[in-house]
Amino acid sequence: MAKKNDDLLAGLGRFSEPALYILISLADGPKHGYAMTQDIEAVAGQRLGPGTLYGAIARLEARGWIEPLAAEDRRRPYRLTAAGQRVLRHRLESLRSVARVGRARLAET
Amino acid sequence: MTAERLLRLYPPAWRARYGDEFLATVGEARLSVVNVFDIVMVAIDAWLSPDVRNATRAWRPATSGGTGPTNGGGMPMLKAMLRCGRTGSRVTPRDGLIGAGVMLAVSFAFAGAGILLRRSGMPEAGEALKSLAFSVSFVVSMPWWLMKGTPWKAQGVIIGVTLLILIACTWIATRI
Repeated sequence: MAKKNDDLLAGLGRFSEPALYILISLADGPKHGYAMTQDIEAVAGQRLGPGTLYGAIARLEARGWIEPLAAEDRRRPYRLTAAGQRVLRHRLESLRSVARVGRARLAET
Repeated sequence: MTAERLLRLYPPAWRARYGDEFLATVGEARLSVVNVFDIVMVAIDAWLSPDVRNATRAWRPATSGGTGPTNGGGMPMLKAMLRCGRTGSRVTPRDGLIGAGVMLAVSFAFAGAGILLRRSGMPEAGEALKSLAFSVSFVVSMPWWLMKGTPWKAQGVIIGVTLLILIACTWIATRI
C-alpha cells in the first residue's frame, strides 16, 4: 500500500516535489496559494513559481488529494482530503526510511 | 510583463478555474524572468496535460466541492482525440476525426518527403524531416482538439512559434 501511494505521488513527474510541499503545507490547515508559497518557503526553503504552484494544485485536485473551499475575495483556500492525508503519510514514511538508511551509512564511514 | 497578459496563454477552462486566484497569488508586481519562464512552461503543460484538462473541465463555479479523482491520464493521443465527442468536451467526434486525419497525413507527408530526400542524396535533410514528422503533425492538428475555441490569432502565434522552435532545434541538431 505504501509503495502504491509513493508511486502515485511520483506519477506527478516534475510536479511531484512541489506537490509534496503543498500537501505538507496543507497538513496544518487550509491555505490559499499565496499562503502556501510563503509557508513552503519558510519550511523547505523553496520558493515555488506561480505556474508550478498551480500546475501542482491542478494535479492534486484532479486526484482528489486536496479540495477547494469557498473563495475569500479572489483567493481560494484549499484543504487536504482524507486521501491526500494517506498519500502524504505514506510518502513521509518512505522518506523517513530512506533518511534512516542514509544516516546509518554516513555513520559507518 | 504582467501576469494578466501571461494568463492569456492558458486554456480558457484553466483561466475560468484558476485565473482569479492565480492573479491574486501573483499580485500586481512585475514578474521576474524566472517566474515568466515558469508561467509559460506551465501554460504549455496546461494545454497538453490530460490531468489538468480534466480538473478544469469538471469545475463547477457554483459549488465549492472538489472535482474528484480521475484516472490519471495516459490515454493514447489518437484514442483521446476520437473520444472527446463522447466525454462532454466542446470537441466533436468530427473534430477528433479531422485532427487524427491531419496528424496522420502530416506524419506520412514528412516521413515520405524524408525518405525521398535521403534517396536523392540529401541524408541529413531527410533525417531532419523524418524526425520532425510526429512533432509537427501533433502541433498542426491541435486546432481541431487541444486548441479548439482559442482565438485564431492565439492559435497562429502558439503554433507558429512552436514550429519555428522545432525547425530551429532540428536545424541545429543536424549541424552538431
